[in-house]
Amino acid sequence: MGVGKSQFSEEELQAYQDLTYFTKKEVLHAHQKFKALAPEKVGHNRNAKLPMSKILQYPELRANPFGDRICKVFSSSQDGDCTFEDFLDMMSVFSDAAPKAVKAEHAFRIFDFDGDDMLGIGDLRQVVDRLTAPQRLNETDMQQVLQYILDEADLDDDGALSFAEFEHIIEKSSDFSKSFCIRL
Amino acid sequence: MSGGDRKKRACDRGQGWEEAGAEFYQESYPAAIEADLQQALQRDPSHIATLLPSKKSRVATAKRIRNDTKTTLRRRTSTRSRGTTTSRRMSTNIHDAAVSMLPDLSENLSNEERTWEEIMQIKAMPVCMAQKIQLKNQLQSATKLRLQGFEQLKWQRRKAWQQFRIRMKEAYSKMELWNDSLKTIGGNFGMGIVAYFLFIKWLLYLNVLLFGIIFLFIVLPATLLDMPEDETCVNSNNSHSISCCSELYWNITQESGNIAGMLEYTLLFYGAYSHMTYTSGIFFNLPLSYISATVGVFIFSLVAIVKSAAKSFKQRVVENEGQFYQYCNLVFGGWDYCIHNEKSAAIKHKALYNEMKAFLEAERLEEERQNRTREETTKLFLMRLFINLIVLAVLCGCGIFIYYIFEFSFNQISPQTDETNITDSHLSLNRIVHLFFEFLPYMCIVILNFAVPSLFRYLVSLENYSPSFVIRITLFRTVFLRLSSLIVVLTSFYRLIVTEVKDNECTNNTSKRPLCWETFVGQQFFKLYITDVFFQFFMTFFINFPRSLIAKHTENKVLRFFCEQEFDLPKHVLDVVYLQTICWLGLFYAPLLPLIAIFSTFVLFYIKKFACLVNSTPSSKIYRASKSNAFFMLILLISFILFTVPVGYSIAEIEPSKSCGPFRGFKSVWSLLIVVFAEFPDWLQSILYFLGTAGFGVPAFIILTLLLYYYYAVSIANKHMVTVLKNQLVLEGHDKQFLLNRLSAFIKQQQDQNKYHQEQANELGTFS
Repeated sequence: MGVGKSQFSEEELQAYQDLTYFTKKEVLHAHQKFKALAPEKVGHNRNAKLPMSKILQYPELRANPFGDRICKVFSSSQDGDCTFEDFLDMMSVFSDAAPKAVKAEHAFRIFDFDGDDMLGIGDLRQVVDRLTAPQRLNETDMQQVLQYILDEADLDDDGALSFAEFEHIIEKSSDFSKSFCIRL
Repeated sequence: MSGGDRKKRACDRGQGWEEAGAEFYQESYPAAIEADLQQALQRDPSHIATLLPSKKSRVATAKRIRNDTKTTLRRRTSTRSRGTTTSRRMSTNIHDAAVSMLPDLSENLSNEERTWEEIMQIKAMPVCMAQKIQLKNQLQSATKLRLQGFEQLKWQRRKAWQQFRIRMKEAYSKMELWNDSLKTIGGNFGMGIVAYFLFIKWLLYLNVLLFGIIFLFIVLPATLLDMPEDETCVNSNNSHSISCCSELYWNITQESGNIAGMLEYTLLFYGAYSHMTYTSGIFFNLPLSYISATVGVFIFSLVAIVKSAAKSFKQRVVENEGQFYQYCNLVFGGWDYCIHNEKSAAIKHKALYNEMKAFLEAERLEEERQNRTREETTKLFLMRLFINLIVLAVLCGCGIFIYYIFEFSFNQISPQTDETNITDSHLSLNRIVHLFFEFLPYMCIVILNFAVPSLFRYLVSLENYSPSFVIRITLFRTVFLRLSSLIVVLTSFYRLIVTEVKDNECTNNTSKRPLCWETFVGQQFFKLYITDVFFQFFMTFFINFPRSLIAKHTENKVLRFFCEQEFDLPKHVLDVVYLQTICWLGLFYAPLLPLIAIFSTFVLFYIKKFACLVNSTPSSKIYRASKSNAFFMLILLISFILFTVPVGYSIAEIEPSKSCGPFRGFKSVWSLLIVVFAEFPDWLQSILYFLGTAGFGVPAFIILTLLLYYYYAVSIANKHMVTVLKNQLVLEGHDKQFLLNRLSAFIKQQQDQNKYHQEQANELGTFS
């Protein structure tokens, strides 16, 4: 921890504690994890920008079918490259302490592949495809699954889920807040 | 506050107003947004729907901040007024920003507390860290009112409390048991299995607390306070008085050489506790403390379980329409983000795929079920009836078997105790045989508990139920098996114990009732507990571990099929619940059983962790964390309630033995409380007596019924309201859809017209 501590001043830590769902100690711990991804780079500059491929080395993100989307959503330059602060933001949202609403908001952005602020048929299809990955549902099954999802969630019948509709679903799903978690 | 200060602020405010006016116009008809709109419309007129405020997440607003840092300051005020309410957060956009502008300016002078609150809110905003820091600095540097007097004090207290909570959290996370283990398990098996391990942890804490209560009120006083000696047997004229019986018992326990005998007179069991009241210096009534601590432990357990179950129950009620959201749940909440292992990820992918297939399949099955012919239905019905009969027969057989094994082993032991006393236990073989018979019934129970569920699992596959029902019915049968074996154990104890003890005897010699039956029962539960834990250990490390090794290294498909194991969650839950039930059952007779339970729960965590991580392959079934927790608690609650009944009965009805324990000489344990009640002051007695009469009971009952009905009516009304609102929402959606269509059609028409005009103009231009 000694090395990590020297890279941050007490005020910075206080700021991070105020602005994330972490305590100071956890912030330092997160920095350790970040540093482990690229020790030499982060050693020089504690807030170095790591390319997406490096960030995806993080075990949970590597195994995650939406890893690249997560990087893109949290990247401040929006190209998937993350600084430590972006990484901290990411971990803060994925922490246990973050409320459901915050998680839902980011999940919505992660699932919104085309960035039109709606989860349309295309987005949903991609989500399902990524979830089942090596296997693929055949076309009729896929159609049916998408249809069922829209039947369940699309309250205004416009063929896509808006954020309000998405949040409504998330409110009712207790699994979501438990599964949308990465322990630091 | 000084006058100059105020003037300055007033001046500030004036400037603010002017500035705001300009901003306001900009914000209500912002050029950038107008351009946005135009662009979107030009691209696709039907795209207009995406511009509606309700379609936007906060992210959309946030994005704009990012693009246009100059307006961040203004934007800040809008985010501030947005506060915590989600409903308002939804409606952020152009309009909202403009509206929130006005009230915000008037309260430009926010006080310290509000600023602080807002800083605490920043973390919920979906913007990047640099912007958060900027926001925070802005908030901090903005002029603000200092809080005065009491308000200041209150705020300081809140701040201190927050600090304290953070500090506590840090300390707690340091102390938190098994964090790394849980992380590994989660990474490999997902949150459903982690919920199980959290349940074990919960039980550990529960046992620690139970032990704490018992230790404080029973064990500690019994060791610290030097209880006054009972009058000796010689003085009393009746050779079967309490004191003589106690002495007899004491002598017998000292003489017998076997292990149980050595343990007999320790604090581990009921028999060793004194029935005297400590009066020198301080007054301490050990018997009263004993019974109150036991009752307290049971009430505490009940409250803990119910509280935990209620939490998951509440969740279930919120999601009671959850089953209608099964696809959304699967797609949006299906992936465990904590999985960090590629192999598990692959299995998870496959599991999700299977689950989706299974859902679709279930839909088809449902259709098929409705089209089933009469003949098939009858055949299936007969099959199920037949299998249920078999299951019932097996359960009865197990019960009878356990019962006779008990009789047999008890008969084997009793003559031997005499023998060992005579031969002074020099035959070690004899002792081993003795030990074997002592543990024989428990070994039988444990082995049956292992073997019969496998049979059930095979039988259920013939019955052709839907997959979710299969899990439930197997579990139900297994629970029944386990509980019935415990019930048989209890009945065999009961037959032994409940006999008339005459005044001139210490115990009923003809029925072979032990001198101190409570200690005897305590020992039996103790043995059962130990055997079960040991068996868990043995099965995991010596049977299942080699099996898993074979499965990993063999190419033979048949061998692999038999050796490969999945982490069968229901079975493991039952293991743990069963142990806890024994702990509750034996607690009264062996007060230190919770201490044993603490150790074994702790060990059990590692046994199960090994079973999970090393022996099992990740399950192809998906266990849902939320559902499984409710389900664990339900099983625990059922077995708790079922088995407090016999304990309660034994406390209230069965006569305690004369020769040992804190309650010797009483007709029943409960009669001690009656004696204590008689010593209460008169007014308290009359109040308590009044509480027991009909004059209090009937009105109380009526009021409670009315209250119940009131809450029932409220909940019905709420449900109705929910459906009404939902319908309204759908209707609004349709209306909006309709209007949007009209609007986009209109815009398109206009565009066409414009184009047409332009073309005409162009044509005219070319002509002229």
